[in-house]
Amino acid sequence: MTATAPMAPVRYQAPVRYRPARDSALIAGRNLRVLRKNPGRMIYPLVQPLVLLVMFVSVFGNLAVTGHAAGASGTYREFLIPGIIIENAALTAPTTGLALLRDASSGLADRFRSLPMARAAVLAGRLASDAIVFAVQAVLLLALATLLGFHVRDGLAGLAAITAVTVAFAVSVAVLSAWLALLINDQETAERVLFFPAIALAFVSSAFAPVADLAGWMQPAARVNPVTAAAAVIRSLASGGALAAPLLELGCWTAVLILIPGTLAARRWHAAR
Amino acid sequence: MSDPTAARATSKAAAIEVAGVRKAFGQVTALDGVDLTVANGTLTALLGPNGAGKTTLVRIIATLARPDAGRVRVFGFDVATQARQVRARIGLTGQYAGLDDALSGHDNLMLIGRLAGLSRGQAASRAAELTAALGLADAVGRMVRTYSGGMRRRLDLAASLMHKPDLLVLDEPTTGLDPASRRQLWAILTELKAAGTTMLLTTQYLEEADRFADVVHVLHHGKIVASGTPGQLKSLAGGEGTSLDDAFLALTRTAGADTEAVA
Repeated sequence: MTATAPMAPVRYQAPVRYRPARDSALIAGRNLRVLRKNPGRMIYPLVQPLVLLVMFVSVFGNLAVTGHAAGASGTYREFLIPGIIIENAALTAPTTGLALLRDASSGLADRFRSLPMARAAVLAGRLASDAIVFAVQAVLLLALATLLGFHVRDGLAGLAAITAVTVAFAVSVAVLSAWLALLINDQETAERVLFFPAIALAFVSSAFAPVADLAGWMQPAARVNPVTAAAAVIRSLASGGALAAPLLELGCWTAVLILIPGTLAARRWHAAR
Repeated sequence: MSDPTAARATSKAAAIEVAGVRKAFGQVTALDGVDLTVANGTLTALLGPNGAGKTTLVRIIATLARPDAGRVRVFGFDVATQARQVRARIGLTGQYAGLDDALSGHDNLMLIGRLAGLSRGQAASRAAELTAALGLADAVGRMVRTYSGGMRRRLDLAASLMHKPDLLVLDEPTTGLDPASRRQLWAILTELKAAGTTMLLTTQYLEEADRFADVVHVLHHGKIVASGTPGQLKSLAGGEGTSLDDAFLALTRTAGADTEAVA
């Protein structure tokens, strides 16, 4: 090897200011490229939910029900499918925290922190790329659900609205998982801990049964659970029920979950050690 | 884009100025009033036993940690209050490779180059230059997880050089490498030094500091206990025939005895 141009010191022209949108897009692009080049990583967020949907609908979908649990078509299937869509979003969201913690625990974190880039870009880029994954997951689930007999009153517009609601819900839970993962700060512990709240969120809610039919001790928590609000919004979008109240409740939850854990997660990522 | 402060930054005779830096982690004092200066264009080595505070000092200089007290300037910019300007001028090769194993070498260099502010074209051109210069051109399309330890180190170094930094900070860059890879890495660092890049490195291999460093600082219990050229340190510790290993052991033993005497 000889002294060549690449080794010559060059006065680097530093960017005048941080460019958070550009840097976030670069990080999101990197995350999506990792998925594309490692397709096995797509099994959990994109294949497993489809399997779960088929299993749930095949086992429980033909139960004869009446009252709250009977959807517009009068079947439990109509009630169950929105719950499964939201449950899958809640169960996928912790992958955001785990991926962020993987970066934070590797030499890559120091690399990012030592570059003249916007520090918030690592968190924002992760959320942006995961939002795309959540959207693809919702579209695939809705397509399969339609094949399984799920009907949305307003057609494509309704399906698009359900996708948007699902992504907003998933991103808010993903932000919570990001903060919890950075708080736990240990990959193995986080892998074992982060999915527990997601499972609790899904079951202590109206995802699978109306709140009134749950055990008495569950009902207060289920009423204020964001999963209940999200499932109610999807059911209303699908069947044309009352939308305003659950939508407002979900909007409040989404804002709270993004702002508070989001700020705390950003602080933990930014904190110089 | 032009940086109006670039001229100021690069005209400084001192690349790094560390004054009275203290840092503690709970009850453990990592740095206890460190003062040192690294001149532009030199290769400076930080030596010290495990736990001496070398990595903590390197992390503060690289803007990854904040000092509890004291001041650190890099090319005239304060690491605590002007971190962005510092980051634009430094490249860091830490103890653990700052690479994404799930991407190719090329993808890593493109990402890091673009995050450092390069355009897509600049990053691609720079990545091609560096991979050719560092002997990675044939492997650059492969996933990093398939690289050998030496290749990872060279790719990590290439990543640190993507934005053409004025100062390269290397924290134990050769630890864990086989002799051939160490030799190869040092050939590259020697080229960089010849080309005028300022370098600060920590190393556990004293013969490397002896052979390549212009100046050596010995850090012990969070304090600089000796500074000078390798030759000066050898003279200080025993004169002719003394190796840097002997000098290092003598200096750290003396400093330890002093500390105990004070205690």
